[in-house]
Amino acid sequence: MSARVDTARDLRIQSRWSPYVTTARYIGLFALVCLFLIPVYVLLVTAFKDPSQVSPRQMWNLPETLSFDTFRIVWPKLENGLQNSLLMAIPASIISSMLGAANGFVLSKWRFPGADFVFPLILFGMFIPYQSILIPLRQVLSEAGLTNLTGLALVHIIYGIPITTLIFRSYFTSISDELIDASQVDGAGMLRTFAFVALPIALPAFAVSIIWQFTQAWNDFLFGIVVVTRATDWPVTVALNNAAGSQVVPYHEAMAAAVLASIPTLLVYILMGRFFMRGLMAGALKG
Amino acid sequence: MYRLRRWGPAILLIAPSLVLIGVFVYGFLGWNLTVSLSDWQGLRPSYDYVGFENYARLADDGRFTNSVGNIIVFTLVFVGGALFVGFFLAYLLERRIRGDGFFRAIFLFPMAISLIAVAIIWRWLMNNATGGQQTGLNRLFSAIGLDFLANDWFKADQPFAVMAVAIAAGWALSGYIMALFLAGMRGVSDDLREAARVDGASEWRVFWHVVTPMLLAVLMSAVVILVHISFKTFDLIFAMDSESRLIETPAIYMWFTTFDAFNFNRGAAIATLLMVGVSAVIVPYIWYSMRAERRK
Amino acid sequence: MEPVGIRLANVTKRFKGDVLAVDDVTLDIKPGEFMVLVGPSGCGKSTMLRVIAGLEEVSGGRVYIGDDDVTTQLPQHRDVAMVFQSYALYPRMSVRRNMGFGLRMRRTPKDERNKRVGEVAEILGLESLLDRRPGALSGGQRQRVAMGRAIVRQPKVFLMDEPLSNLDAKLRVTMRAQLSLLHQRLGVTTVYVTHDQVEAMTLGQRVAVLNNGVLQQCDTPTNLFRKPVNLFVAAFIGSPSMNFVHARVANGTLTFADVTVPLPDGFALAGEDRQVVLGIRPTGFSVATGNDLPTFKAVPDVVEDLGDERYIHFDVDAPRVDTEATRAAVDAKSMEDVLLLPEDQARFTVRLPVNTPVTAGQPVTLAVSPDQLYFFDPDTGANLS
Repeated sequence: MSARVDTARDLRIQSRWSPYVTTARYIGLFALVCLFLIPVYVLLVTAFKDPSQVSPRQMWNLPETLSFDTFRIVWPKLENGLQNSLLMAIPASIISSMLGAANGFVLSKWRFPGADFVFPLILFGMFIPYQSILIPLRQVLSEAGLTNLTGLALVHIIYGIPITTLIFRSYFTSISDELIDASQVDGAGMLRTFAFVALPIALPAFAVSIIWQFTQAWNDFLFGIVVVTRATDWPVTVALNNAAGSQVVPYHEAMAAAVLASIPTLLVYILMGRFFMRGLMAGALKG
Repeated sequence: MYRLRRWGPAILLIAPSLVLIGVFVYGFLGWNLTVSLSDWQGLRPSYDYVGFENYARLADDGRFTNSVGNIIVFTLVFVGGALFVGFFLAYLLERRIRGDGFFRAIFLFPMAISLIAVAIIWRWLMNNATGGQQTGLNRLFSAIGLDFLANDWFKADQPFAVMAVAIAAGWALSGYIMALFLAGMRGVSDDLREAARVDGASEWRVFWHVVTPMLLAVLMSAVVILVHISFKTFDLIFAMDSESRLIETPAIYMWFTTFDAFNFNRGAAIATLLMVGVSAVIVPYIWYSMRAERRK
Repeated sequence: MEPVGIRLANVTKRFKGDVLAVDDVTLDIKPGEFMVLVGPSGCGKSTMLRVIAGLEEVSGGRVYIGDDDVTTQLPQHRDVAMVFQSYALYPRMSVRRNMGFGLRMRRTPKDERNKRVGEVAEILGLESLLDRRPGALSGGQRQRVAMGRAIVRQPKVFLMDEPLSNLDAKLRVTMRAQLSLLHQRLGVTTVYVTHDQVEAMTLGQRVAVLNNGVLQQCDTPTNLFRKPVNLFVAAFIGSPSMNFVHARVANGTLTFADVTVPLPDGFALAGEDRQVVLGIRPTGFSVATGNDLPTFKAVPDVVEDLGDERYIHFDVDAPRVDTEATRAAVDAKSMEDVLLLPEDQARFTVRLPVNTPVTAGQPVTLAVSPDQLYFFDPDTGANLS
C-alpha cells in the first residue's frame, strides 16, 4: 500500500470551476491589455523608427533599425516648451500644495464656525468649466501684465487650491483629534500646532498633492493658450500641438513629439504611482 | 473675546485662499455673466446691458445647436463606454490575482499624459485616407481581413464623427472608472462576502447580490464626474480636428467665437450655459457628499 | 509647587442639537486630591474633563483652577497637563521631543528641558527609549511616555481620560497601583475619568458618580459603596452589582416574593406602609446557620466557581426591577441589550464561601441580616434608609 502525500495544492478550498474561471480572467485581461496598448504600440514603434522607413502604409510594421533621428528632428520644436513647463509646473505645484495644507488643516482640525460651509464653496472651484472664467481672466492678466509664464504659474496655483485643499483636508481628517487637543494642552496655539505637529505628519499628503498638481499643470492646454501670448513662453502642451497639430506634419514627428512631451509626467507616474492614485481618488471625493 | 482668540489665527491662515477663490472663481463667474448680458464685441470691452439677447440669439444659432447636439452624443457615448469598460476591467481585477498592480498601472497610464498627446495618437489611428495612403486602424483592419470595419472615424457624418472622438476619450478615462469601481468593490467588507458564501451563494451570486448593490454610490459618483469632464473637454477635440464642425462642442465653439472672432458676449453666454449644465450635476453631488460625510 | 484645587460652579454644557452633556454640576476638588469621575458612557465625564482643560466651552457656570477663574481661558494658558485614552503621542517626534514639547512651547531653555526630561524618564523607566519614535513602542511604553509628557510639565493639574482602557486586563491592574504610587509621590491634583467602577474605587480618594450629565454623588469609595444616595449609584458601584427586587414594607415587616423579613424596632421604615425597591448586595447573604436571622429558600440554576469565590444565581418569584437607573448602570438602552433569553423575573446573585456545599437545582437556605438591606423609593430612586 502506498500512502499519498497531499500537496498544498490539493488542500485548497475552491469550487470546481475556480481554476477555469481564473484562467479565463487572465486570458481576458491579457486580451484587453493588448487591445488597450495598441495606441502605445503605434506610438513607440513610430517614434523609434528611422524616418526613411516611415510611411502611412508601414504604420504597423516594426522598425527595422532603432533610431533616435525623429526625436532629434522634433526636439528643437519642443525644447523651449519643455523648459517653460518645468519652470512653471514645479513652483506652481509646490506653492498650491502649501496653500492646500494650510486650508486643509484649518478646515478639518481647527474648524471655525462656518468651516463646513466654506469648504464646499472652495471645492466647487475645482469643478467649474474653465470656459466660464476665461474672459475675465484674460482681461485681468492683460491689465496686470501677466500674460506670461509667471501668470500661467499663478493661474495654476489659484485654480489648484480646491484640489490641494481637498487632498489635505481628507488626510488631516484621518488623523486623531486627540493629537490636536494634546498639542493645545501642551501650550501650542493654532500656528504652532500646524507647524510642529500637523506639517511633519502631512508628508505623504504633500507627495500626493505635489505629484497630482505637477501632472495637472504639465498636461494643461487651455490655460496655456489663453494666458500666454508670446510664443517663447508657451508650455510644452501648446508647443506640442503646434509641432504636431495639423495633418501636414508627418505622423512620425507628431508621435515622437507626443512621446517627448509626455516623458516627465510618465516618469512621475511610473516612479510614484501610488501617490498618483491617491490624488486621483481624492478628486472623486473618495479621499 | 475668547472666540476671536481661538478662531482668529485660523481665519487669517485661510483668508488668502478665500480671497483668491472668491475673486477668481465667484467674482469671475459673475463677471462672465455680466459680459454675457452685454454687447461686447471686438477688442474693446463694452458693458452696455442687452438683457438675454445673446442667449436668445444662441437658440437661433445653427452652429451652436450643432455643437449642443455633438456634446450630447459625445457625453452619452463617452460616459456609457467608460462606465462599461471601467466596470468590466474592475470586475476582472477584483479578485486579488497576481500582478493586479501591473494591470492597473497599464490601464491608468493615460491619466498621466496630456489629452493633446492622446489626441495626436488617435488622430493618426483614426486616419481615413484610402487606397495607398490607408493607415491607422483602417489599415490594421484591412490587414487582418476586417475591411468592413474601416470607416471615416472623426471625419464621418454626424453623429458618428463625435462618437469616434468619444472612443479616444473613453480609452483615456476607462482606467479612472476602473479604479473607482475597484475602490468601491474592495470597500465591501469581507465579512459580508464570507457570510454570503457560508449561506451557500456561488462566487458569481456573491458578486451580484452582495457587492454590486454597494456599488450604486460609486456608479453615481462615476456618472457625475464623467458628465462634468465631458462638458469641459476641450484639449482632446481641439487637437484632434479643431476646425471641424462635425465634432465641435460648445466648449470649442466658445473658444473660437471669443478669441478668434472676438464675440465676447456670445462666448460668455455659451460659457455661462456650460456652467449651468455642469452645476446641475455637480452641486447636488457636492451637497450629497457633504451630507454623507456629516452622517459618519 | 503648592497643589491647587479645582472648582466647577453650576457648570452646564449643551451641544448642538440640544444635547445636554453636563447638567448644572457643582464640584469641589481639593488641592492634591485624586478625584475620579465615573459613570456609564455618555454621562458627561469626558466632557467635564475637557471643560477643565479648556478644550470645550461651557454653556453656563464657572470653572476655577486655584483662585483663578479660567472659564474663558484658552487651554494653552491654563497650565494643565492631560493624558489621553489614545495617548496622542506626536508620531514624528522621538520620545524625548514628545516629552519636551510642552516645555518647548513655554520657551524653557534647552538644557533645563533635557534635564527635566531625563529626570522623569528615569522615574518611569524610559531612559533607553528616549530616542525612539512612538511607532516603535509597545502599548505600555506609550502609556508611560504619555504620563511622562504630563509629569515633565510640572503643571497645576493632571487630567487623565481613561488612560488605562487600551491596556490588557492584567497590565491594567499593575498600572493602577503604579498610578497611585505616582500620585503619592508627586502630590499633584489629579482628575481621572473612567467608565470602570473598579478602577474608580481603587484609585480615587473621592469619586464623583455621573449619569446623564447630572452629578449623582461625590464621596469616598467606602461611602459610595456603603451609603449610596440613590438607586443608580447603588446599581453602578459594586461588582457583581447589587440585587434588586420590588418589595413592600407594612406593619414592621418587609415582604417580597414569598419571603417575609421582620424589621427590627427603630428601623428607619419600621412604621411605614409602602412599596419600595429592595436592594441587597451579593455579599449581603450568608448560609443559614440556625441563628435568629431571617431565612429563605433559593434554588440556584447557575453556580459559578472561580477558585477562591463562589457565586450562585437564582430566580426570585417577583417581577424584575427595570428602571432607567438600573439600565443606565449597566450601560444598556433596554434589557434586550443585556439578555440573550428574555426573562421577566428578578434574578439574584449571591456570593458564598468557596466550600459551601451547593449544586445547581438543589435548594439552599440563605440568611439575610436587616442591616444589609437597602430601601429605595420606586419612583425617585432615592435611598430611603
